[in-house]
Amino acid sequence: MSIIETDSLSRHYGPRRGIEDVHLSVPEGTLFGFLGPNGAGKTTAIRVLVGLLRPSSGSARVFGLDCWRDTRAIKDEIGYMPGDLRLMPWLDGRRALKIWGRVRRRDLLPFGRELADRFALDLTVRVRNMSRGMRQKLGLILALAHKPRLLILDEPTVTLDPLMQAEMHRLLRQWATEGRTVFFSSHTLAEVEQLCDRVAMIRDGRIVANESLVALRRRAGHEVTIQWRNAEAAAQSPPADFDLQERNELIWRGILSGPVDQFVDWLAGRAFDDVSVGRPDLETLFRQFYTSDESADR
Amino acid sequence: MNRGIMFKAAIELWPSTVFCGLLLFGTEAALAYVIPTFQGQLSDSLLKIKFLQDFLGAMLGVEITDQLGPEAFLAFPWVHPVVLTTVWAHALLCCTRVPAGEIDRGTADVTMTLPVTRWGLLASETVVWMVAGIVVLLIGLGGNLFGGQFVAPDDRPSAWSMFIIQVNLYALYLAVGAVAWFASTVCDRRGVAMSGVFVVLLASFLVNFLAQFWDVAERIAFLGLLHYYRPIFVLRDDLVPWRDLGVLAAVAAGMWMLAGVVFSRRDICTT
Repeated sequence: MSIIETDSLSRHYGPRRGIEDVHLSVPEGTLFGFLGPNGAGKTTAIRVLVGLLRPSSGSARVFGLDCWRDTRAIKDEIGYMPGDLRLMPWLDGRRALKIWGRVRRRDLLPFGRELADRFALDLTVRVRNMSRGMRQKLGLILALAHKPRLLILDEPTVTLDPLMQAEMHRLLRQWATEGRTVFFSSHTLAEVEQLCDRVAMIRDGRIVANESLVALRRRAGHEVTIQWRNAEAAAQSPPADFDLQERNELIWRGILSGPVDQFVDWLAGRAFDDVSVGRPDLETLFRQFYTSDESADR
Repeated sequence: MNRGIMFKAAIELWPSTVFCGLLLFGTEAALAYVIPTFQGQLSDSLLKIKFLQDFLGAMLGVEITDQLGPEAFLAFPWVHPVVLTTVWAHALLCCTRVPAGEIDRGTADVTMTLPVTRWGLLASETVVWMVAGIVVLLIGLGGNLFGGQFVAPDDRPSAWSMFIIQVNLYALYLAVGAVAWFASTVCDRRGVAMSGVFVVLLASFLVNFLAQFWDVAERIAFLGLLHYYRPIFVLRDDLVPWRDLGVLAAVAAGMWMLAGVVFSRRDICTT
């Protein structure tokens, strides 16, 4: 079952593009990475999902409910942390949990305290005296404290130190194993790669990929590096399914789109010293998507 | 309505409520004592200076001719510019917080993604604001009663008149606040919303003022909110100004509803 479903979703800011014809489907219980560079439309899509913005056209549904019309029911079961998090300066952690608890009609203090211990946050410090990282932690705690079914995090680790990032990743993984869904926007590829099961990539307001990381990598082929024994071997033509991206004297680097066994057969009769065949990392995939789309645009 | 939002609103409103209340207390206490005590001297001086006479007339909403009756002096503490400015300032501070204030300071992303409908949010904030308004006016009334302790009983207004004036002032407060809610829902910047309402109030005051000596202004005076707040008539006739109360209540209800409709349909964008 899809917990988030958008269909031809567009949102413009007057003449300015926000997102365009976005089709997105997020299965329940996944750690879903929403990846794109700054200004690609990630925050706009999230703002539509949490009912802050009304779609210009198309539809956005969470738990099968319309994000604009049924926003109250949706918000009951989501935890959201905005990218540019601002909290009331007079607030401290305890008071925030009390207020959020009253709004949600449940006691958030016990689990909130547990989370604060986990993130090493002093709940008595006022927001006006907090560092950005501390505010980010409090934002996370407030998003998590009611144990939502869906967690929407807009670039949540930007100001967290590596230790806290690791702690947050552990928590989110645990969250997903309990059947909850995490929708996680980021422009940090390594983080999404480390954490997410599925990923959607957005570029210029449009989704350019939406599938599991495994499928994405499979579709993207293999990264191959060959070290030839001599210049004669290095001078030969590559097979048709091998996209040679870098040719440096005796070294070839490229992407293999065909089957690996056929490539190994082709290679077997040739003079080479070393070969490595592996799945590309997300960064390479990301670049591939971007460069291929850019050349398509041109 | 949501208890959590009301709790948050109460925390955010109490400093301005206490400040405005104390300011009103001091002003009312001083005016309630000074004006009856120096009534004779004031009457002579005011009648000699035409501008002051017009100014007082504009504030009281009547034309002052050859004499200043006791009602004018008893009404003055409730139309003094400091009193009106304090009451309006409180309404402006409270009613421009959501959504303009929240968008302005960037907290709208957090508060407006809590599980409360926009109507629910507005209603919760409104209830707290209405209670805060009553508190401010009651503190002001306390100041008036306190200052009145030091003057002769005959120089104090009747309890009934005082009650009606408070109701009328509260209706004015609600109307100003509702206009501020509306301005707040159509703006992304709190300063812009406050300036807009301030301009409306200033225009209302000016029209009321100019109506004393300019026919055109007199014809459009009914458009200003101050036209429906005239304590001097309450003190003179001892009657409930139903028409004025009705108009102010209608403006308050109408503008609040309009604010709710706009708020429930608008996009919230903090960046």
